[in-house]
Amino acid sequence: MKWMESLRARVILGVLLGAAGLTGMLHLVMLTQVPRRPMVLHLGHGLEVIVAAGLLVAGLLGLRSGLSPFTRLRARLAAVHTGEARRLDGAYPTEVQPLVNDLNALLDRRDEMVSRAMAKAGDLAHGLKTPLAVLNHEAERAEAAGQVELAAAIRQQVEKMRRQMDYHLAHARAAASGADGGASCSVASSAEGLARTLLRLHAGRGLAIDVEVAPAHSVRCSREDLDEMLGNLLDNACKWAKSRVTLGSAASNSGIWITVEDDGPGLDSALMEQVLQRGVRADQAAPGSGFGLAIVRDLAELHGGSIHLSPGPAGGLRASLVLPAA
Amino acid sequence: MRVLVVEDEAQLSEQLAGALTRAGYAVDCVADGETAEFMGQTEGYDAVVLDLGLPKMDGLAVLRRWREAGIRVPVLVLTARGSWHEKVQGIDGGADDYMAKPFQMEEVLARLRALIRRSGGQASPELRSGAVALDPRSSSVTLDGVPVKLTGHEFRVLSYLMHHCGRVVSQGELTEHIYSQDSERDSNTVEVFIGRLRRKLGAEFIETVRGLGYRIGEAP
Repeated sequence: MKWMESLRARVILGVLLGAAGLTGMLHLVMLTQVPRRPMVLHLGHGLEVIVAAGLLVAGLLGLRSGLSPFTRLRARLAAVHTGEARRLDGAYPTEVQPLVNDLNALLDRRDEMVSRAMAKAGDLAHGLKTPLAVLNHEAERAEAAGQVELAAAIRQQVEKMRRQMDYHLAHARAAASGADGGASCSVASSAEGLARTLLRLHAGRGLAIDVEVAPAHSVRCSREDLDEMLGNLLDNACKWAKSRVTLGSAASNSGIWITVEDDGPGLDSALMEQVLQRGVRADQAAPGSGFGLAIVRDLAELHGGSIHLSPGPAGGLRASLVLPAA
Repeated sequence: MRVLVVEDEAQLSEQLAGALTRAGYAVDCVADGETAEFMGQTEGYDAVVLDLGLPKMDGLAVLRRWREAGIRVPVLVLTARGSWHEKVQGIDGGADDYMAKPFQMEEVLARLRALIRRSGGQASPELRSGAVALDPRSSSVTLDGVPVKLTGHEFRVLSYLMHHCGRVVSQGELTEHIYSQDSERDSNTVEVFIGRLRRKLGAEFIETVRGLGYRIGEAP
């Protein structure tokens, strides 16, 4: 029934039905209230009551269903807001559909602007990194010329700038992917790519990386962000490991737990707290105190997750990343 | 050993070339993706330092085309793209190592040495054959523990032969790996370098395999 898709038709029908029901009811009330001819109610009147009440209810239901698209629209908007959906899906009455189309166009435009801003932020960071590399080499030349303090000062500032860029770029990326809701990433595919990469980057050290991740485990964030979090954890583990790094996953009520363990010297419990201390921004953390881990913590929190450090069974460090399951 | 540097920022390219030349490599520099692809396909390099954000063709595309063409030269990607996702893409795209800018030149040199060593199947950082030892880390050569002074070309000839210990290397191959693109090439001078190396390291050290080329060490 094509005409039922129209909001106007539904409302008019609802109002007509309701009015008819109300008229019937009023008629009955009038009959009983007229004093000159006291009425005895018979079967016909009972039928009238039922029909009138039915019409009233049908009218109200019609009105209700006429307005229900707005309730649905609000629910869809809420889903976009929380990041579960990217657009407003589904068919709406002909009067509402143009509004939904406009809202979708607005959402598309917002996505486009976010990704353009992201690209610009990336360009800015990339554009600065090459000059920083040049500056770094100038520091080496200064050092060779005997200006050791100058060289150290340049290097320190270059390192600070690099951290600032990495930190803010990772944040911007995570924020942008938050806008692109409904993202889901398989832990296994991210872990396998990273294991391949890290074996190359740490080639010659004879490390083994065991990936024991259930294929069904997926988390609610983009591939880029999961790669960034797991990459930092695995790289850190590879740096400290003697021979073996293990990556595992488990599902629980709180989400997917991804654990990265190494067989290195481990981390002092006081340092563990310091590394993940709240309120210490990753880009301001002291050099050598786990800048990578602090980035992981920030990204995990942006995605509604968390990170925990504990001593591993092999004597090394165990980092557990908890993220909402997809 | 001959290295190709692909970097579009002129100053950084110069710095890399300078540091690599001082470390004893013959160096060619190119500044765009298309030229890089061509040079990689036509010249014999022992390693490549490859930037990714390049004019005309992206570095990852260059790398993919080399690998598709069966060119196995070790490639060190040196790029501003420093996220882990990008690193995975680089390694899966055929890179042998990946470094993010800004970097320390020493680390670039160390990683390049390791790449060249591994591609030649060498396990230890120092190359040794008989009484001669070559340390690529310091570009130094010793005979019975006594330092031997070599010119840049002599060092490159010796380094190439020692990286391919036990294999006969032709004069043409040697020529290709000791000269950069813009230097005058003359395969006769290879004989001159071999002669000088024999004077400094002992006549028996480098064997001439008639009609084929030169060899250091026993055939495997």
